[in-house]
Amino acid sequence: MGACTGEASRASPNEWIRTLAQDRKITKTQELVYEMKVDQVMSRDVVTVRPETPMSGLGDVFRGRRISGAPVMEDDRLVGIISLEDFIEWLYAREDDSVVGTKMTTDVDFLFGDEPLVHAVRRFSESGFGRFAVVDRASGRLVGVITKGDIVAGLLHKLEVDYHEEEVLRFRAGRLFKDVLAIGTTLCFEYEVEGRDFQRGGESSSQLKRTLKSLGLNPDTVRRVAIATYEAEMNLIVFTDGGSIAVRVEHGRITVEVTDSGPGIPDIESALQPGFSTAPQWVRDLGFGAGMGLNNIRNCSDDLSIDSAPGKGTRLTITFLMEGDGEAG
Amino acid sequence: MKLHEVKEVLNAEVLSGNGLLSGEATMACGADLMSDVLAYAKPGALLLTGLTNPQVVRTAEMADLVAICFVRGKVPDEESLRLARSQRLPLLRTTLPMFESCGRLHGRGLQGVSERVD
Amino acid sequence: MKLAEVVSELDLKVRTARGELERAVGGGYASDLMSDVIANGAKGDLWVTLQIHQNIVAVASLTELAGIVLVNGREPEDATAERAESENIPIMVSALPAFDVIGRLYELGITGGTSPDADQDERT
Repeated sequence: MGACTGEASRASPNEWIRTLAQDRKITKTQELVYEMKVDQVMSRDVVTVRPETPMSGLGDVFRGRRISGAPVMEDDRLVGIISLEDFIEWLYAREDDSVVGTKMTTDVDFLFGDEPLVHAVRRFSESGFGRFAVVDRASGRLVGVITKGDIVAGLLHKLEVDYHEEEVLRFRAGRLFKDVLAIGTTLCFEYEVEGRDFQRGGESSSQLKRTLKSLGLNPDTVRRVAIATYEAEMNLIVFTDGGSIAVRVEHGRITVEVTDSGPGIPDIESALQPGFSTAPQWVRDLGFGAGMGLNNIRNCSDDLSIDSAPGKGTRLTITFLMEGDGEAG
Repeated sequence: MKLHEVKEVLNAEVLSGNGLLSGEATMACGADLMSDVLAYAKPGALLLTGLTNPQVVRTAEMADLVAICFVRGKVPDEESLRLARSQRLPLLRTTLPMFESCGRLHGRGLQGVSERVD
Repeated sequence: MKLAEVVSELDLKVRTARGELERAVGGGYASDLMSDVIANGAKGDLWVTLQIHQNIVAVASLTELAGIVLVNGREPEDATAERAESENIPIMVSALPAFDVIGRLYELGITGGTSPDADQDERT
């Protein structure tokens, strides 16, 4: 089958997919830390106290609301932050009652709501603080409080949501074969390719690849189909005024039919030789036309039939065999 | 080899995918023509290339490559950047020429895609 | 290092200009884009590429390269081989892909400079 199937991974398809999914999850978390903002995970239901609030009252506030710290507000202004640690210190010192204003940290470190989570993560690790007040950049007002726990919970939630969405899509698409009541089921996808449209070249193959993936098909099969279709699509763009790609997915087989009314292939045998190319110079300059196209298609597929003659156009019929429904796992 | 090691070895700049540098390149291939890449590259490979059009990103997508590093200081065009971001494909860029880049990475233990198609 | 040594170390098959193997190899250049080689290749460089079209001979002559190594087992086209013979350009073939060929050459001490306008004297 050639390099397109690679060595079809030494692990079983199941194991390989699980690892892939795991890897993607870890990478996804890192991505989310950069993408998500502080105001997406912070608590908006902010409990605040005032400088004149007695320290003795803090116990109820913290315990009652199950929080470990609170911003201190003087009217509308954020003037400090008081934590459970501050409270415990005061208790330990067995001092007379005093007010929050005398015990709070006045050099308040805060974050803006629109900052990415990665800033919050860095600040937490640099400062050793347990929480940060979150301020709205435009108005300067206190809008929330963020703790490390909020970050973790927020990320997990988003991961779950994204994962769930992906699962739903995959599940829905994959069930098509199982739920349809018929002797046989065929899914057909069609794509139109414009000639010479180099910038958009590969778009159809990309869409096809994503669709096949969401159907839950074996990744190796998807890869072979994608590569072959891509090569065929690029040929349409380079050599013709455009054409169509029709894909049929059925039990045990995927068929890709590429049709154009372009110049046709005068010498099919030569065209199948690796290295042979009739690509014009502008194509070579773009890094293509090293002549592997048809050869790659043949190597990736289980069968390739070429129907072409000068003036007649070309039809490629590319067949990929799968086991059963070819579903992953 | 992790992508942030590749970045160090080649003194590379990260054009996209800053959060994805813990990805692993299982092997590498250096080419300016994409057909060979499609024929020989395996999933997880790092592609080193001087070609900067969107087809490079498409090739990486089709072949399930892990990242692209542009050599000779080449900068990919806007469309390529956009495509790479939508694919979550890391793009690196080094001013080193192809020969030097491949030589250094090979010296650090990264292997090529040594399997012929017959 | 002489071309003959490179040939034997990397087990390359020599296809043209067998009489030119006493040439010295300065550094290495890898690219499949002609314009790039012309612009950045240096005299005495060994060129690693998968291009087999006869244009590669013109480029090698113009840039005064030490020779051309084709990768992935590619063979020069007939027109290419003919032209290379008449212009005394050694073309060698390796079964390995570019990355590995370059890696091995690098191990032998053939390097590729630091950047497109690197000081040529830095090469071995």
